[in-house]
Amino acid sequence: MKYIIYILLSFNLTTFTISAEETRQVDKHEHGVGELNIAVEGSTIEFEFMIPGADIVGFEYVAKSDDDIAKINQALKTFDDYTNIFTLPSNSLCELNGQKVALKEEDEHDDHDEHDDQDEHAEENHNEFYAKYSFECGNINAIKEVNFPYFATFTNSGELEVQFISNMGSTSFEVEGDEPSINTDGKI
Amino acid sequence: MLLKLTFNSLYARLLTVAMTVFAISLSLMLYMSVEKLRTSAYTSFTDTISQTDLIVGARTSSVQLLLYSVFRIGNATNNITWESYEDVINKKEVAWSVPISLGDSHKGFRVMGTNSEFFKRYKFRGGQSIELEQGNNLDDLYDVIIGAGVAEKLNYSVGTPLIVSHGLQSFSDHDDQPFKISGILAKTGTPVDNTVIVSLEAIEAIHVDWSTGAKIPGQITPVEEIRQMDLSPKNITAALIGVNSKLQIFQLQRWINEYPEESLSSILPGVALQELWRIVGVVENLLLGISVTVIFTTLIGMTAIIFSSLNERRREMAIWRAMGASPKVVIGLLMLEALIISVMSIIVSTVMLFLTLYVLQPWIDNTYGILVNIETLAVKDIYIFMLFILSASLVSLIPAIRAYWFSINDGMTIKI
Repeated sequence: MKYIIYILLSFNLTTFTISAEETRQVDKHEHGVGELNIAVEGSTIEFEFMIPGADIVGFEYVAKSDDDIAKINQALKTFDDYTNIFTLPSNSLCELNGQKVALKEEDEHDDHDEHDDQDEHAEENHNEFYAKYSFECGNINAIKEVNFPYFATFTNSGELEVQFISNMGSTSFEVEGDEPSINTDGKI
Repeated sequence: MLLKLTFNSLYARLLTVAMTVFAISLSLMLYMSVEKLRTSAYTSFTDTISQTDLIVGARTSSVQLLLYSVFRIGNATNNITWESYEDVINKKEVAWSVPISLGDSHKGFRVMGTNSEFFKRYKFRGGQSIELEQGNNLDDLYDVIIGAGVAEKLNYSVGTPLIVSHGLQSFSDHDDQPFKISGILAKTGTPVDNTVIVSLEAIEAIHVDWSTGAKIPGQITPVEEIRQMDLSPKNITAALIGVNSKLQIFQLQRWINEYPEESLSSILPGVALQELWRIVGVVENLLLGISVTVIFTTLIGMTAIIFSSLNERRREMAIWRAMGASPKVVIGLLMLEALIISVMSIIVSTVMLFLTLYVLQPWIDNTYGILVNIETLAVKDIYIFMLFILSASLVSLIPAIRAYWFSINDGMTIKI
C-alpha cells in the first residue's frame, strides 16, 4: 500500500514537473489595431509594420480559394510600394534602400474566445502582414511629419499604434484614419 | 486725454474695479497654474529617465513596469531570474545594462539594490548623470548611498548607521546586518532623491537567513560568515538596457517579450510614459476645461459689472457729451475701460502666480517630486492673454453699445 502511494506520488510529481517546464504563451492580436515601429539612427530611418490580416484583406484564414489568394497577392503588391502605406516629406531626401514584405501565418491556437463567430473555420489562424522599409536620408531632420495613405489604401484598417525611437528618446503615437499623420518635429 | 479720463473714471470707482480685477486675476491665475503644473509634471516625468532604451521586468503592463522600476510607485508583480537577465544582456544588441532589485525599505524610503553601472548609466534631464555630493561609492558590502531627499528628511550624513526593513511596510528589520552611509547623492529632482541604494550582493546578504518572505527562526548567520559566502544575485526586479543601435531595438524587444524560458516584458520608457500620460490626460483636460470656464464666467461677470454701472453713470456720460464727446467716444471709453481692467488683471494674475509658485515650489517638489518651472511664462500663456484681451474688448461692446444708445437718446437731459 505504502509503495503504491509512493508510486502515485512520484508519478504526480513528475507530471507536475513536466507541466511546469512547459511554457505556453500567445502573442497579442487585436483586429483593427496595427503595430508600427519606427527607429531612427544617424541618417537611417526604418519602418516596421505588423498588421492583422483582417485589417488588410478582411479575413485571416489560410487563403484557399482563387479569390482569397488573389486578394492576398494584391495586398502584398500594395505593400511593395511603400507610398501606398506612408509618405515622407520630399525635402528629407530619403531613398529606400531595403524592404521586406511578407504574410506571417501563425499556428492554430486555443484562444478562440474573441472569435466565436468565426468558429466555423476549421483552421483558425491569425495572419499578419509584415512589412519593413529602410531608408537612407540626405536630410533626416526634415522629417517633421509622416503621412499615412495606409488608411485610405486599406478600407478595413483600424488604428495604428506607433512606437518611435531616435537619439532624442522614445515616444508613441496612435494614428487613425480621420487624422492620418504623426508629428515628429523635434523628435528626430 | 481719453486714457486719462478712463483712468480717472476707474479710479473714482476704485473698490468695484479692484474687486473685478481681483476676480479676473484669480481665474486667470487658476488657469495658468493648472497649465504650469501640467507642463511641469510632464517635464518632471519625462526628465526622470533619459538615454535608457529598454526596461525589462517580469510580464506586466508597460505603465506598471515603468512606475515601479523608475518612479518607485507600486510594486513588481514578480522578479526575474538572474539567468534570464544574463540571457538578455548577452544578446549582441545590448550595449549596457543596469540590474535593479527592489522590495525592501528604510523608514518609508525604497531600498534599491544595483551595481556600479547604475551611477554611470542612469541619466536624467536630457543626459545629466547622478553625482556624489559627499562621501564615496559602495566599496564595502554594507555600504549604502542615499539620495539627497533621504539625507535631508532624515537628517543623515556620511557615516550614519542605517537598518534596512524587510518589505515596504513591515515590522521586521534586517537589524542583524546594519549598513553605514558611505555617500550622499546630489539633488536630481527625480525619484533617485528618495532612494536608498545598496549593492545587489547586500540585498542577497540581508536575506541569507530569510526564506519565502519570513525570517528562519533561530537562524542568525554571523556577518563574518556572510562576507565569505557567494552573494551573487539570484534574481532582480528589473533592468535598464541600452542598445548598440536604435535600429535593433524592436527586434530585441520582440525577442525579450517572446523569451520562452520566463515571462518577461520589455518596454520603451518614452512609449510607456505616453501611455501613462494618455490616462492622466483625461483629468488634465477636465482641469483645463474648468479653468477656461472660470475665465469665461469672470468675463461675463466683468460685463455685468460694467452694465450695472451704466445706469449710475448716465449723468457722467451726459457730461462727456456736453464736453463735446461723440457717442462713438462713449463706446471707445467703455471698451478702453474693459481693456484696462483686463490688462491690469493679467499683470496682477502673473504677479500672484509667480508669488504663489515661489512659495509653494519647495513643497510641491518635496511632496510630489514635481519641479515647477517658475522662470518664464509660456508662449501659450501670451496667446491666452491676447485672446483674453480680445474677448474682453468684444464682450465690453455689449454694454458699450447700450451706453451709445443711452447717450444718443438722453443727450444732455437724463430721463430716468
